[in-house]
Order: sequence, then structure tokens, then C-alpha cells
Amino acid sequence: MSAGFRFSRAWSIARKEVRHVRRDPFTLATALGLPILLVVFFGYAIDFNVKDIHMIAADRDNTRASREWLKNFTSSRFFKLEPADPGQDPQSALDTEQAKGVIIIEPGFGNDLGAGRPAEVQILLDGADNSTTGIISGYLIGIQQAAWKKISSGPRVQPLSLQTRFLFNQEQNSRWFVVSGLVVVVIGVLSILLTALTVAREWETGSMELLLSTPVRPLEIIFGKLAPYLGLVLVSVVMVYLVARIQFGLPFMGNHLLFLAGILLFLCLCLAQGLLISVITRQQQLAMQLSFISGLLPTLLLSGFIFPIESMPPFFQYLTYILAPRWFMVISRGLFLKGVGLLELAQPLFMLLLLNLIMMGLALKRFKKDLEP
Amino acid sequence: MSQISIQIKNLSKRLGPNQALAGITASFEPALLYGLIGPDGAGKTTLMRILMGLLFPDSGECAYLDNHQTVAFERVRSSIAYMPQQQSLYPDLSVAEHLEFFRDLYLISGKVFQKRRAELLHLTRMEPFQDRPAGKLSGGMYKKLGLMCALLQSPDVVLLDEPTNGVDPISRREFWDLLYRLIRQKILVIMSTAYMDEAERCSRVLVLDEGKIIAAGEPLSVLKQEKAGNFEELFLQRQKAGRR
Repeated sequence: MSAGFRFSRAWSIARKEVRHVRRDPFTLATALGLPILLVVFFGYAIDFNVKDIHMIAADRDNTRASREWLKNFTSSRFFKLEPADPGQDPQSALDTEQAKGVIIIEPGFGNDLGAGRPAEVQILLDGADNSTTGIISGYLIGIQQAAWKKISSGPRVQPLSLQTRFLFNQEQNSRWFVVSGLVVVVIGVLSILLTALTVAREWETGSMELLLSTPVRPLEIIFGKLAPYLGLVLVSVVMVYLVARIQFGLPFMGNHLLFLAGILLFLCLCLAQGLLISVITRQQQLAMQLSFISGLLPTLLLSGFIFPIESMPPFFQYLTYILAPRWFMVISRGLFLKGVGLLELAQPLFMLLLLNLIMMGLALKRFKKDLEP
Repeated sequence: MSQISIQIKNLSKRLGPNQALAGITASFEPALLYGLIGPDGAGKTTLMRILMGLLFPDSGECAYLDNHQTVAFERVRSSIAYMPQQQSLYPDLSVAEHLEFFRDLYLISGKVFQKRRAELLHLTRMEPFQDRPAGKLSGGMYKKLGLMCALLQSPDVVLLDEPTNGVDPISRREFWDLLYRLIRQKILVIMSTAYMDEAERCSRVLVLDEGKIIAAGEPLSVLKQEKAGNFEELFLQRQKAGRR
């Protein structure tokens, strides 16, 4: 009588779970509020496009040539130039965080330039903030070239010139880059957290003991408990998708069905991970901490969401192979920004499938139908 | 109708550093109410969980017989009802929702359910509280709801782990009336209690201490044999004698 999977029993557990969710403001608020919070936070706060960088200019030459050269900075929207306080060492602006860089032009700059000798400008950058300074030094090359053309007598033909064209995300809008990865973060964090909590709660309150004494099968408990959260997280994903498209004007170049397939694969994997956490911890508090650590950290740090995998040390590059967010990140960005097809996504999809089988196998193996410690 | 009896032989179970059960032998027959009597930590819950298949003994046997024929546990599992000691109902689900949930888990048909549900609500006098969430029930009503969920499937064996713990005296009396009804229906009832005065109400008692059975049988003959006026005295005597 009790052998075999009964859909009606799984369904009754799912219905009970929906009742819990509807009556529990915390779960609802997390499921619907957290994605919005993440989108607003990452969509607006993280911006790699540098502009209005404060620079201090100490023009000790003060000739037409030096003023002309400095104008190159002020005419670009990237920099905000302020003259140095005459009685002060310009370098102190770096120490007090008033500026990210200091430009010092020593007397004689104009003379040297006029006489055809090499003219020197000193630029000091705040190396403590190496991400901003990296970008500044990138811009400096361009400014240097522009200045060269203006100041030197007449344009010279450069023997070699690089014309760079960006194929995807032509405007190099870093928000597109961030937001197209947000679906990964939302699913990664939300689904692991919610499932870990719901199953751990059942253990912690003792209701699992009662459930296990009934003819209900472990697989029915798992299906019944996870199905509502699958639906809930899908709703959050749709919300994030709409915000990305409407609010941030993100394109979607790929196939939506392919995207759905990727989402479902990644989502099932995360649900299995949450399940595994909860059957191991059997406590809500611990399950929550483990979910955040195992869900949030790899997604934020090791998935290529912000930090490129290619520039990680080899060990971490290989480590990302077993991390699902890395593969889903490729799928999400590829479909949003590049419009890749099934052929290009075969590897990430296959890896997600493989990791799914491993994670589900582990979770099912550890799911006990007894109370043995 | 099947009549299930349980025979356990030399059951031992270690949980962490504790020897929860140390070689227990007993048999449980239908239509009788067995009381597992003993202080906290005597091994009552462990024995209950082994009988329900939630824990496995380290050594010893636990056999289930249906009309004197040995049967596998999986065969009888669905006719054993269990009420854990820990509060295990869902605080946000109402009385009616609990009954529906357990109807689905036990695959009870609609017609049988309607009849059984009306019967149980009447018996427990819980009809007026059907819409009340379990978390808002009094201690006694909470236990009654637990019992209703267990009895919904018309079990042959009922295992109740400290069902009267934290229940006021009047509700306790009501609860006992319900238990007597069950054994009149030829059901085997095994309950545990730390209340010594309840021991005398059982048909048979198993007095447990530190994982061992120190006395077993009909309550009055156990007291006579141990030369104690009541069960409280029995334990006090043992304590004085330094737990023989």
C-alpha cells in the first residue's frame, strides 16, 4: 500500500507548503523583496564606468603650453580638475583622499616643448584604489594621444594605429554587464536559502518525525516541499527579467526557451543544494548561514559575475568548473547580450546537467527516512 | 480486521554516549493498554521510535505479528499510528487543515474521511475549534488534535509518547477516556508517561529505568511484588537502595 510514489501525497505536501508560504510574511518578503533589492543594489551601485574623477593639478610652469595640455583633462567628462593649493604639497591631496591623482607640471615644460626637447609631466595616482587607478591610466593613454596631436605642430601620421570596436554591449555599459548576471545571483541565493530553511524547519520543529511515521515516501516529501519554491523563484526571475529589460533597457538577443531551460537546470541544482544543506544541518539557523556562504559567495566572487574568471589564479579557475553559477552566468550573459545559440551553450548546459545529477544524488542519499543521528 | 502484536527481544540501542536501551524484552498484545513508566531519560522515547521504525536497534529483535503470523514492518507500518512527544503539528495550520493533510497522506477516501472526521471531532469535543490554528490551541486540545491525526486512519496499533505531558488534570481525564475507547476496539495502545499516578490506569506496565525494564506486568501485581504502595514509592525506594 505504501510502496511507490503517489502523486496525491506529494501534492498534499505541496498544498500544505503553499499555505505555510502564504501565511509566513518572512518567506514572501524574502522571495519577492530580495530580488528587487539585489537589482536596485547591483544595478545602480556597481558602476565601472568612471567619471568625474577628482584630480589636483599643480601647474608650476603656467605657460600657454602647460595650460593647453591640462585642458585636455577638463574637456573630457572623466576627470574633474582642481588647481592645487599653492602653499601645500600637492601629494597630500592623495593622503587625505581629496583626489585620486595629482598632476605636477614643473617649470620649463613650455620651454622644453618649444625647443623640441622631451617635456615631462608627473602624474601621481592613488595606488591604494587599484581598480580606479587602472581605469585612469587607461584613459591617460588616450588623453596623451589627443594632447600630442594638438600641441605638436600639425598632425603626424602614426605608423600603427589600433581601431578597437566592441562587438557586444557596444556602449561598454557596465550596468548591462552587471544586470545580465543578476538572474544568476537571484536564483542562486534565493532558491538555496528558501529550500534549506523550509526543510530544516520541518526537522527543527519535530514535524518531520510525525511525517516520517506516516506512509509518505521521502521522494514525495522532497517533491512536495520543493515544487512551490520552484514556482516562487520563477516568479522572482520573471520580475528581475522585466526590471532588466524595462528599467535598464537590456537587450535580449537569444532564445527565450533556451533561457528557460538554463534557468530550470540551474534552479533544480540550487534546490538540491538547499535540500542537502537542510538534511545535514537539520537546524534553521545553521542552514541559513550555510546557504549564504555556499550560495552567495561563489555566485558573487567565483562566477565571473564581477571578477573575470580568466584573471584568477589557475587553481581558482579550475575550481569554478564545479560551480554551477559560473556555467549559468555564461548562459545568461550569452543570451542577453550576445544572442548565442544551443551550439555555443552546449558545454555550460551539459555541465549544469552533470552537476545536477551529482547534487541530486547526494541530497537524495542523505535524505533519511529515520531519526538516526 | 487484523490484530497486531509486537514482540521485542533483548533490544539495545546506544545514542551518542548514552546506552538508551540495554537489553529489553517484552511483548505487546492487542486490546491492551501498555504504559511505559519511568523518569526522563529512562529510554521511553527511544523504545517508541524503534517500535515506529524511526530508529534501528543496535542488537536484538523487534517482530510484528498479524494474527500470530510474523509480518514485515513495511506491511504493518501504515496501520501503526504514532504521536511524538515533541510538538510536531504545524502551528499555522488549522484543526480542519491538519485532518485534511493527514487524510491525503494516508490516502483515505472522501466518504470514509467524512465519517471518521465527524466521529473524532465529536469524541474529542473539538467541533467548535475546527478553524483554530494548532499554534493557538491549549495544551490539552493540541494533544487531542495530535491524537485525532493519528487515529484518522483507524490504526491497529497506537503509539503515544507522553501524550498527557503538560496537560491539565481535567483534559487528562478526558484523554484517558479516549484511550479506554480505543482498547475496547481491540486496538493495541502503547503510551509512555512520566506521571507515576497514570501507571495504575494502564492494563499492563513496563517500568523502565536507565534503559532496562525493572518490573513488568499488571500494575497492582507489580506494586505487590515490589512491596510499594504506588509507583512513586517504587522509584523512591529504588533511589534509596542506590538503584540495584
